[in-house]
Amino acid sequence: MKRGIKIALSIALLSSLSFAGDQFAMSDADRAMYEEMLENNPADMMIANGSELLEEYCGGDAGLAAFFGVSEEKLPAYIAGFPRYLPEFKQVVGLDQALQGLMSKNGHKPFALKSSDMFDMSAYAKSIANGEKSNIDINANQHMKDAYALGEKTFIQQRGGRGLACMSCHSPEVIGTILRTQPLPDLSAKGNAPAATWPAYRMTKSSLRTLQRRFQGCMNNALLKVIPLGSPEMVALEVYLTEQAKGSEIAIPGLKR
Amino acid sequence: MAEKRKSLIKIKPKKYKDGEVVKVDFMVMHPMDTGMGKDKKTKEIIPAKYINSVKFNYNGKEITNMTVWESLSVNPVFTTNMKINGAGKLTVTFTDNTGEVHETSTKIKPKG
Amino acid sequence: MQRREFFKQLGAATAVAAVALPTMSFAADAKPSGPNKMSFETALNAITGGKTPVKSDKIKIKVPEIAENGAVVPVTATVDSPMTDSDYVKSIHILAGGNSNARCIDVNLTPANGKAMFSTRIKLGGTQEVSAVAVLSNGEVLIASQSVKVTIGGCG
Repeated sequence: MKRGIKIALSIALLSSLSFAGDQFAMSDADRAMYEEMLENNPADMMIANGSELLEEYCGGDAGLAAFFGVSEEKLPAYIAGFPRYLPEFKQVVGLDQALQGLMSKNGHKPFALKSSDMFDMSAYAKSIANGEKSNIDINANQHMKDAYALGEKTFIQQRGGRGLACMSCHSPEVIGTILRTQPLPDLSAKGNAPAATWPAYRMTKSSLRTLQRRFQGCMNNALLKVIPLGSPEMVALEVYLTEQAKGSEIAIPGLKR
Repeated sequence: MAEKRKSLIKIKPKKYKDGEVVKVDFMVMHPMDTGMGKDKKTKEIIPAKYINSVKFNYNGKEITNMTVWESLSVNPVFTTNMKINGAGKLTVTFTDNTGEVHETSTKIKPKG
Repeated sequence: MQRREFFKQLGAATAVAAVALPTMSFAADAKPSGPNKMSFETALNAITGGKTPVKSDKIKIKVPEIAENGAVVPVTATVDSPMTDSDYVKSIHILAGGNSNARCIDVNLTPANGKAMFSTRIKLGGTQEVSAVAVLSNGEVLIASQSVKVTIGGCG
């Protein structure tokens, strides 16, 4: 019976998706206006702050390159391959966790993953790869393969009182349909490529957010139990979506509604 | 002076000549609280705190001044134009209704 | 600030209407403080000194027809002007008629600006008309308006 209700609800959701369609669809001119706003992204100020923090706590770009064991020239391409399996962590980690490791190595207390300083610093670190193509390698080793599989599982896992999964609103079948005035985005490299455009400034939150933080907001809205930042499932979800958007050009910070 | 506020002045295009009209963007991290909002947790009214004045000064001459009200977005952006008239400095001074005063500046270096 | 919170505040605006009523004699160098309540007409009068603005092609306002969210709405006003010492735009004003304080910003320009353009982002408490008013050096007052549909929705 309970399952029946869940199915009914998901059908109701799907029908409401196509229903709201044309009435509030945004014009191309309006979209262009919002895209122009990227030129003056308030997150540029946060990125500048992140750059200072990286200098202070991690020895700047050079310190980061040395930590990863790559030359400064190779640093952008290396960063474009995150999340990665790093042997010293014995797990697949996001860029933010790698920065925590470096801070700790340098004798500093690492910023919390959910702190705005960490958002600023990891956004700056990722912006080093601006212009590079996202080059995650999910076949690099067994750890990456496992992370991808866990990410896919997390993506399609129905959870919460409404039995929703990430997939409910982000499967290829519903791309472009409107959910309460917002077109559901194509998460692949052809679409808005989250892996390449997060961290981003959220206009409705007036702050810089990371992709994992966005996942949390989404889970919260869909009444799913929120998964902690940096947890294996969360990193795996980032791996999964990064693979979907592989090859897209990194442009940090993004600007999102 | 309260805490240091992060702000940014951008001149577009980055390379410009004397006599050219360029775009000037000024942005600052500021809550722009209207004084009508309530804190979600404490349910108390958040006192008004918004930028109420912005002035652009180019080589000692005030070229633009703005009176700002509470309807501007959080972390506001102000974009105007300016005619390049010699090397020097563009200074932006802004105040808010609680008495904070800040100043930030950028060098103006026309080429050719 | 949360979007919903923002709408709630604007909804609550009428309740605090009695607070800090700015008058039309708002001095040129006085600065706004506290929450203000100013209608479109009051704001316009204060700006133009009672003069009726003329709708003109010389002034253009660019705002989205549908705003993705009310917290950050891009607005650009452009006035066709040579911006010379004898013929220039003295000021550009952005007004949001549906906000509890319709007056968003007053921008005083000089010929040193080279062009008469101003762009910013404003908060809108709901679907309403947004206007740009320009006061020219010859005393003319121009206006352009466009309505913006503010949607409540989307995910988070």
